[in-house]
Amino acid sequence: MASELTMAMADLDELKVQDLVKAGLAAGASPSRLLDECREGMTLIGERFETGEYYLSDLIMAGEIFKVAAADLAAQGGSSGPTKGKVVMGTVKGDIHDIGKDIVVTMLRGANYEVTDLGVDVEPAKFVAAVKETGAAVVGMSGLLTISFDPMKETVAALKAAGLPVKVMIGGGPVSEQVREYVGADALGVDAQSAVALAGQWLAGVGGR
Amino acid sequence: MDNKALYEERLERVRKVINFEPVDRLPIIQNASAFGPRYVGKTIADFCRTDEAPLEITLAAMDKLGGLDGINLMMGGRTPVVLPSAWLSRVGWPGRDLPDDSLWQVREAEVMTVDDYDTIINKGWGAFLQEYMPKVVDPAEFAQTMGWLMANARRVADAYREKGYVPVAASAIAIPFDYLCGGRSMAKFFLDLYRIPDKVEAALDVILPEVIGQAIGTTKAAGTPAVWVGGWRCAGAMVAPRLWQRFVWPYLVKIVEALVAQGITPILHLDQDWTRDLGYFLDLPAHKCAFNPDGMTNVEKFHEILGDHITWMGDTSATLFAAGTPDDIRNYVRYTVELFEGKGLILAPGCDAPINTKPENMEAFVEACHEYGKVA
Repeated sequence: MASELTMAMADLDELKVQDLVKAGLAAGASPSRLLDECREGMTLIGERFETGEYYLSDLIMAGEIFKVAAADLAAQGGSSGPTKGKVVMGTVKGDIHDIGKDIVVTMLRGANYEVTDLGVDVEPAKFVAAVKETGAAVVGMSGLLTISFDPMKETVAALKAAGLPVKVMIGGGPVSEQVREYVGADALGVDAQSAVALAGQWLAGVGGR
Repeated sequence: MDNKALYEERLERVRKVINFEPVDRLPIIQNASAFGPRYVGKTIADFCRTDEAPLEITLAAMDKLGGLDGINLMMGGRTPVVLPSAWLSRVGWPGRDLPDDSLWQVREAEVMTVDDYDTIINKGWGAFLQEYMPKVVDPAEFAQTMGWLMANARRVADAYREKGYVPVAASAIAIPFDYLCGGRSMAKFFLDLYRIPDKVEAALDVILPEVIGQAIGTTKAAGTPAVWVGGWRCAGAMVAPRLWQRFVWPYLVKIVEALVAQGITPILHLDQDWTRDLGYFLDLPAHKCAFNPDGMTNVEKFHEILGDHITWMGDTSATLFAAGTPDDIRNYVRYTVELFEGKGLILAPGCDAPINTKPENMEAFVEACHEYGKVA
């Protein structure tokens, strides 16, 4: 059965989450256990998003509550142990929109993936360098404008040319299956929760890579 | 037929379709500000250089393309100066801080503070903007372009009419939610909706009448039939239902009611996916509005719920224009005409055909609209 903290997180009750974290720490609870309970709340939030109970605004609020709680708990030594895997994320060259990308980053981190966030207007070479440096097995590319299609294609080509065995997912308002095919990406993430599910499929059992 | 008669015929075609009366052919209305420059051998920087340039370049592109009945929101005034007033954000300027032939881009950041809500509530929207706008746009350029727009609304509209085109809307306003969302930045604003909802609501209540007044004033000055009413971040796909019902829908209803009371048609330019809430639109007056989406709202659901109530204006998507083929475009136009069975439909690109629209796709769009859009 889900804990009170998990349910407060899932219900987006910001003040209650803060109170329960504070009370739990004062009572000597393990920061790592409290962090896991918050993550379980994020999993429920993802499920509620998938079933249409929650919307994007709820994900943003969830991300904020989780970020604050996780920072407090990390400061107390909280850790969820090894992550489920590494992901490199960025908005591609020529596009400076960060909101969709930021939500995906938050949801991936909430689900215990280690995310390298390259920001916006990211050159293909930067994606390649980040994958080499981190050993990530998944790359996520975001774009809100139709001018992002060609830079996405260039980035996929650069990753292939560098011989990196990564899976690539793309997302953003104008991105469609037709665009995925054009770009040469492995999958299209229609929303943040899809991105988490794709990472889950691709990184199942991979762990630190 | 001379251009004056052509204009009258096209205006009547638009009016009849919005009123669900029979027409000879479905109207074809352009939404393609960023497409025009390259199509006539100019850059986006050229388009942004003077207040007059968008008018000249857009008219040249419409003439070259041919076959259009009009333009949704008439272009005039420098876009990187005008856009900050809708987004309350800085806008990257092609030819200045962006490459010459790249698209202008909204640089969304948290410029508006939580304290600014109090300024809006206590001093009013206009007074707030006077203090705020210099934070996102050069004040001298802003004053110049806004002055130009006010002084030239009628002349710009007439320039389209003289060529036989219908300038559907001279004024663009947003659902008040989106002004604040742009100024605060989306993530921060959405947090405000959960944390300080009463304050946000009080600010929205102050903004609403001022925005409506501005839209009516400009529209009467230009003599255009409609107002472009934008919504982008306030779509159902973005906002939880209980927030949408409080912070979005009541304001949209009041805008529509105020415009319709003045005999003005609201063109509801609604980006993102509004499918979840289409049932609410049955509460708007029948045959008085157009719903102008960007390709993300489900057209079949719209037709099922609102097909006899509100005219659909669209919605060949930006993705199809940039990445599709002429056949993709033709197939989509034919599909929408067949779906709507020749009524309550204005054929238009969804949102704004993008900068990298393939010219052959735009030409195929107009040809297909003529081929399939004959309904009499």
